[in-house]
Amino acid sequence: MAETLLWVLPLVPTATALAMLTTRDRRILSAIDVSGSAVLAVLAIVLARAVASDGPQAFGVLRVDDLGLVFLLLLVGLTLAVSVYTVGWLEQAVAVGNMKAEFLRSYFFLVHAFVATMVVTVLADNLGVLWIAMEGTTITSAVLVGFHGHHHGLEAAWKYIIVTTIGISFGLFGTVLVYAAAAESAGAGAMSWSAIMQIAPTLDPGIVRIGFIFVMVGYGTKAGLAPMHLWLPDAHSQAPTPVSALLSGILIKCALLGIIRFQTIAAAAAGPEFPATVLLVFGLISIVVATPFILTQHDIKRLLGYHSVEHVGIVALGLGFGGRIGTYGALLHVVNHGVTKALAFFAAGTAIARYDSRDMRVIRGLLGVAPIGATFLMLAALSLAGVPPFSIFVSELMVLRAGIGGGHWVAIAIFLAMVVVIFAGLLHHAGAMVFGEPTAAAGREPEAGFPLLGMVLLAAIMILLGLTIPASLDEPLRRATEIIVG
Amino acid sequence: MTLETVHTVIDDIGALLLFTMILIVAAGQIYRAIYAVAAQSLLIAIAGAVLATSTGNRDLWVIAGITLAVKAIILPWVLHRVVQRMDVRREVEPVIPISATLVLAVVIVVASFQLSASLGSVRQAITGNALPVGIALTLTGVLVMATRKTALTQMVGLFASENGIFFTAMAVTQGMPLIIEIGVILDVILAALVMTIMVLRVRSTVDADIADLDRLRG
Repeated sequence: MAETLLWVLPLVPTATALAMLTTRDRRILSAIDVSGSAVLAVLAIVLARAVASDGPQAFGVLRVDDLGLVFLLLLVGLTLAVSVYTVGWLEQAVAVGNMKAEFLRSYFFLVHAFVATMVVTVLADNLGVLWIAMEGTTITSAVLVGFHGHHHGLEAAWKYIIVTTIGISFGLFGTVLVYAAAAESAGAGAMSWSAIMQIAPTLDPGIVRIGFIFVMVGYGTKAGLAPMHLWLPDAHSQAPTPVSALLSGILIKCALLGIIRFQTIAAAAAGPEFPATVLLVFGLISIVVATPFILTQHDIKRLLGYHSVEHVGIVALGLGFGGRIGTYGALLHVVNHGVTKALAFFAAGTAIARYDSRDMRVIRGLLGVAPIGATFLMLAALSLAGVPPFSIFVSELMVLRAGIGGGHWVAIAIFLAMVVVIFAGLLHHAGAMVFGEPTAAAGREPEAGFPLLGMVLLAAIMILLGLTIPASLDEPLRRATEIIVG
Repeated sequence: MTLETVHTVIDDIGALLLFTMILIVAAGQIYRAIYAVAAQSLLIAIAGAVLATSTGNRDLWVIAGITLAVKAIILPWVLHRVVQRMDVRREVEPVIPISATLVLAVVIVVASFQLSASLGSVRQAITGNALPVGIALTLTGVLVMATRKTALTQMVGLFASENGIFFTAMAVTQGMPLIIEIGVILDVILAALVMTIMVLRVRSTVDADIADLDRLRG
């Protein structure tokens, strides 16, 4: 039963995508969108229960363990929230002409095709399938990034497809190298992660090291780690807002999962220090590189894009510090950042629609014209900045503690300095947008219901995770940590 | 064929591959780069056929056939058509002089051989010098993408890069699983398709080469 679900899960968004092609009516499309995402979420929860009671499930090239499950639950949760948000966002976008009614079905088709490829990446056991699905996410989402079809959108889409395609061809090379190392003893089954893990300690450390570096650069490009992040701010700022939320909330996390899979192999073959050091260096570079761009940014969606670079860096840092606390903190940060960043994009998207501008110097006094949306924007900004009691504070603290426990003083000093600077910068940006006198550009129409519903969903999760980590999430996180730490 | 012969043949093909790569880097006209990458793909297909005969691995025949059809014939033909259709007034347009790129390419080749020489045990897992040649092709492909402005030349660089990966993958003694290789080729075709559509779309809407768009900064 549970094994069958593994195959059904990617088919749900595929079927949803195909169903989109049957109609042009916006309401029906939105209804299919929300129900498809809801079915996906329910099935994922059923699968989670099966994993909790019977352990990892495998079927052919797909396999789900607790590590994949954490990412899967984030994926289905955010997809549902995005679908709910899209209902209202689309109504507004069509009304002002940002989205053309005749292209809506291809938009929805692509979104669900994109979700389907991401579901395969988190469920893939075969590392080749992982790569194929990862390239699939690039192809489907590149079209979405340029969906608005104007000059900037197409520029961002081209940069995105070129940089990430070349990036993950490095990932393929790394995969081939690890396969070559494993094929001698494991034979043709050597492409499956679970089979490689059985023999990982016997692999040649030299070739696995080089393979890991290739994978790190490759999937690191897709994850938005600096200095390979060049596509990220452009793509995040030019994509339609729901797509930005998917890119930032889930896609870059899927790439991180790919890195983690290879990290476990490299740790077993070449000792845990080697992959940890590589992750640590990339993490620190990302945090440092993102900081000046966050401070000087005027475009709100680019700001959030650079913020993703910083937070992916924090996850890499947590994995690099390692140990149970660092790894648990990194995984928790994946969930926290995904939820919070999607919320931030939702709130930013409604603010952009209201002022018809992404420039933060134009968006002023949001609290006066849209009090609920402004509150969510402020909540998201506070959480992203790492203010307690929100969830990101908890995971950042864990990463920090792991670093102190490991005696990585230099890394800790850099990390803390950057986090403090970003804290000040982000709150300055958010405060200026939310408070003060509304500018003349501000629309005065009442706030729409569906976008708020999507935000309530995410804000509730965000606040809940800041106060307590429910057992249903804590247990998979703990077991996933054990998988990585070994 | 004896193992020795296979090694020699693969090494010879590797040398020819590096030669085509130099041609791509040195190409001053987009047509030449397209012909060179087609020739390179043809060599990859031949390497696949040689390895298929020597190892008796039938999957490699399929992969060699697909490579021949898709990467040596169809994709170069499509690129060629796009060049004709767009009536390219501009050629390769290097960011840095071609001679400087050539020097960098040589550095990459030497570094790749140094790197794989440091890996003793890999020699059993991958036939001949396929590993250093593969790494060199992949990195030089990236170099071409980074130092050329026009979209089509960047796509040529991408194909060359993929060729490097395929060469190494074919030479892994156990052979890659067929279904994976087919999936990878399918992805490459789809990516090329989407890129071509984008190039044509930008040409028709803003009458510029897509790689020239540079308004997004900061």
